[in-house]
Amino acid sequence: MRYEFRVTGLVSPALAEAFPELEREPVPQQTLFRGAVTDEAHLFGLLTRFQDLGLSIEEMRRLPE
Amino acid sequence: MTAASPTPSGDPLLAAKLSVPPVLRGLVSRRRLLDRLTEGTNGPLTLVTGPAGAGKTTAVASWAHHGTAPGPVVWVTPDREDSPRVFWAHVLEAFRRRLLLPDGGAGLPRAGDSAGRALLVRFAAALEGLAEPVVLVVDGLDKAPGREVAAGLEFLVDHAGPGLRLLLTSRVDPLLPLHRYRAEGRLCELRGAELAFTPREAAALLRGHGLAPGGEVVAGLTRRTEGWAAGLRLCALAVQRSGDPAGFATSYLASEQAVADYLLAEVLDAQPAAAQELLARTSVLDRVHPELADALTGRADAERILDRLVRDNCFVQPVAGTRWFRVHPLFAGVLHARLRSRWPGLEPVLHRRAARWFAASGQLTETLVHAAAAGDWPYAAGEAVRHLLAGRLLAGLDEGRIDALFSGMPADVPGAEAALVTAARLLARHDAAAARRWVLRAERRVRHREAAAGAGPEVRLTLALLRLLLAPHGTGSGAGAAARRTAELMAEVPAYRLKEHPEIEALRCHGRACALLAAGRPDETRAAFEETVRACTGEATHLVRHAAWGRLALAEAVRGELTAAADHAARALDVAERQGIPEDRRSGAGQLALATVACERCDFPTARHHLALAAEFTDTAADPVLRAERAVVRSRVELAHGRWAAASAVLDEAEPQVPGWPAGRLAVARSAVALARGDPAAALSALHRPGPPGAGRAAVPGDASRTVALALAHLAAGRPARALRLVAAADACPAPDLPDRVRIGLLRARAAALAGDRPAARALLGEALDAAAPEQLRRPFAEAGPWLRHLLRDVPPPAARWLTAGPPGRPAGPVLVEALSGREREVLAYAARMMSNEEIAAALHLSVNTVKTHLRSVYRKLGTSRRREAVERGRELHLL
Repeated sequence: MRYEFRVTGLVSPALAEAFPELEREPVPQQTLFRGAVTDEAHLFGLLTRFQDLGLSIEEMRRLPE
Repeated sequence: MTAASPTPSGDPLLAAKLSVPPVLRGLVSRRRLLDRLTEGTNGPLTLVTGPAGAGKTTAVASWAHHGTAPGPVVWVTPDREDSPRVFWAHVLEAFRRRLLLPDGGAGLPRAGDSAGRALLVRFAAALEGLAEPVVLVVDGLDKAPGREVAAGLEFLVDHAGPGLRLLLTSRVDPLLPLHRYRAEGRLCELRGAELAFTPREAAALLRGHGLAPGGEVVAGLTRRTEGWAAGLRLCALAVQRSGDPAGFATSYLASEQAVADYLLAEVLDAQPAAAQELLARTSVLDRVHPELADALTGRADAERILDRLVRDNCFVQPVAGTRWFRVHPLFAGVLHARLRSRWPGLEPVLHRRAARWFAASGQLTETLVHAAAAGDWPYAAGEAVRHLLAGRLLAGLDEGRIDALFSGMPADVPGAEAALVTAARLLARHDAAAARRWVLRAERRVRHREAAAGAGPEVRLTLALLRLLLAPHGTGSGAGAAARRTAELMAEVPAYRLKEHPEIEALRCHGRACALLAAGRPDETRAAFEETVRACTGEATHLVRHAAWGRLALAEAVRGELTAAADHAARALDVAERQGIPEDRRSGAGQLALATVACERCDFPTARHHLALAAEFTDTAADPVLRAERAVVRSRVELAHGRWAAASAVLDEAEPQVPGWPAGRLAVARSAVALARGDPAAALSALHRPGPPGAGRAAVPGDASRTVALALAHLAAGRPARALRLVAAADACPAPDLPDRVRIGLLRARAAALAGDRPAARALLGEALDAAAPEQLRRPFAEAGPWLRHLLRDVPPPAARWLTAGPPGRPAGPVLVEALSGREREVLAYAARMMSNEEIAAALHLSVNTVKTHLRSVYRKLGTSRRREAVERGRELHLL
């Protein structure tokens, strides 16, 4: 399954290294992260990682296959 | 040293986890939060939630130092790697250190000793006796392992009495029934919005850093950071560097960067290159030691840099009383990302260096964590074996962490050590077949190396120990040699290492005893298990002690030593409960022994109860001895209820790949089923069926059971002389077990009765009764057949009263002497539905006379004279 996370603010490439499994796409005042999520455990792990880095998630959705 | 080993009380790292953290310089006193916490701790539960860097710990720590708590404050900071067991051990230890438990917590286990429901019950009871309120702070509950800890806290909230005030901080809502607590008005919550800084508080924070920007700047920064404490502190640091608050605010407010990203980059980039590199390189660590940091940077300035970062309030904090430092999690995450982007490929190198540093300072778990993270598996496995880790895994001392570490190890890692670690992990999970394959692989690799340099004593000891513990899963042959080899190799390993690992000696004793049990040597088995229990003295050996008591009980139950078996089984269960051995590591041997005891006493409901409990443990299916015994007891219970098809099916189910002694037990049980359905020929052939390969026909002492079973079959086939000859041979064996002795006596009584010598038969029956009475061993009498009932009438009542009196503590229940046939059960079932003989006859397509014959036969077998009595008794015996 693929997910998209919409994060507040622009995230620098250096910080995005914390998510090597996701692609980063800057949009105005936000950053999109997209990528394959293995399972629920991975999903919750990603959410924790966003939180660990002080990034706030505005939207999260599962992408159609 | 590891999460599993109880940390010595003198450990300063533990001391830091169990004390209120010091409050930072320049901290803003936020009165409204202090008041809310004081108010909250008047009730049972206060919850502080917010994202990383929201200032949760700071708020609660400054409140604790502020002195308005309703009583003493006990502080616990969980670590991510702590198991629930360790978490509760730390809570207890924290209470104990503050001398807050009545009687100093007597009756509660020592730290690291225990957990589980029993512990919580006792802990809650101790807390009910508190003289004054105590606040228990769990700082960072999100790091404590999920449901289990939350369930324990929920239990405390409900049962610890009004003295306990819980104060929890967490990044996520804990798994507690918060809605219920809210509805009951028992919960005080401080959430993110309340923790956020107001512009006024932000101004105070900036003033604390020696800054006095204008109101507009403060308002802007507060808005941009949404009052986020870490963000404001980062702003302060950045402004301190630039010295131009307004300029900073302008460029910051104009930036579209994520808050943390922008600020962390600002602060980090302002650091000197050496500090930046140190922070990035040490981001692979949970906490930083100056010497370890030097090992990672290849320089010698770590201590100086770290001290300066602390002085500058730069998100690095010393761990009180130690030389360790902690980096704020927010910072650590960013640093880790930087390391990857600026120095790609360096991470594994750093983990390798860290592994070697930890190995040199004797910290095995950390060594393995970093070796695994580096993918340096040969090194990880080598260190693990050198520290005799297999013993820890098998004695249940690991808590799953090391097992999880090695779960990432690829199958093609070379070296005997890797194969040994894999084998130990598999065997700890009772997967003997796979473990054996890896032991063989390890053996080949050791032999290969022996030619070159020779394997260390720890490698050879681990190999010998695994072989010994695997012996009962095979034919059991070679166990004696493996036990001796293990003992020899233990002498070659440095003595201090064995002293650190008492579980090795315990496992050696246990392995030897299990092998003796599987080889059908009951006489030596008991002494060997007793030796095991004696070897299990400390905390490291609870699991082995539990398993040894259970198997000792089973060995005794099989020999008819029912009183001792029940006692030792109870000890096995007690050790498990008291020491909080995790359910998935427990052995079902104790439950199985209790089932056997109940079955031998003809208390079948109890036997079924324990069988059901025993089935929940992995080893009653995985261990050949337990698997066979479980099938034997199940078969006997089915047989007692006249369900011989089921009795036979459970034995067939257990048969495949069961070698040696267990095969013999199954054969005897199968012949008993055949006899019960009146087929002596099948009973004989069950005993003559060649066992699986390797089982052999060696005259092991346990063979007396088989001889007695053969004799019973011949007797049933009308060949009493032959039966008596066989019995004479069995009796000549060194002391048959009690059940066999009783069966021999009964067989002789039956033969005498058949020969018309009733006085002799009576006397023999009397002897058998006297022999069986002390253990209340009823089953040989119950299965003997209807002839016994007639003969029993001639025995003076006192001698036989115990037989019909029913097991102690239960209402007197009848003993089913002869199983009902299938038709008889059907007729009884219809009778129970209040159907007349005519109706039953119609339903079963039988004549009324046949139904009457069946009913008479049912009455006779159940020892009743009327239909209603028969139905009642049928219910008692679970025939209906």
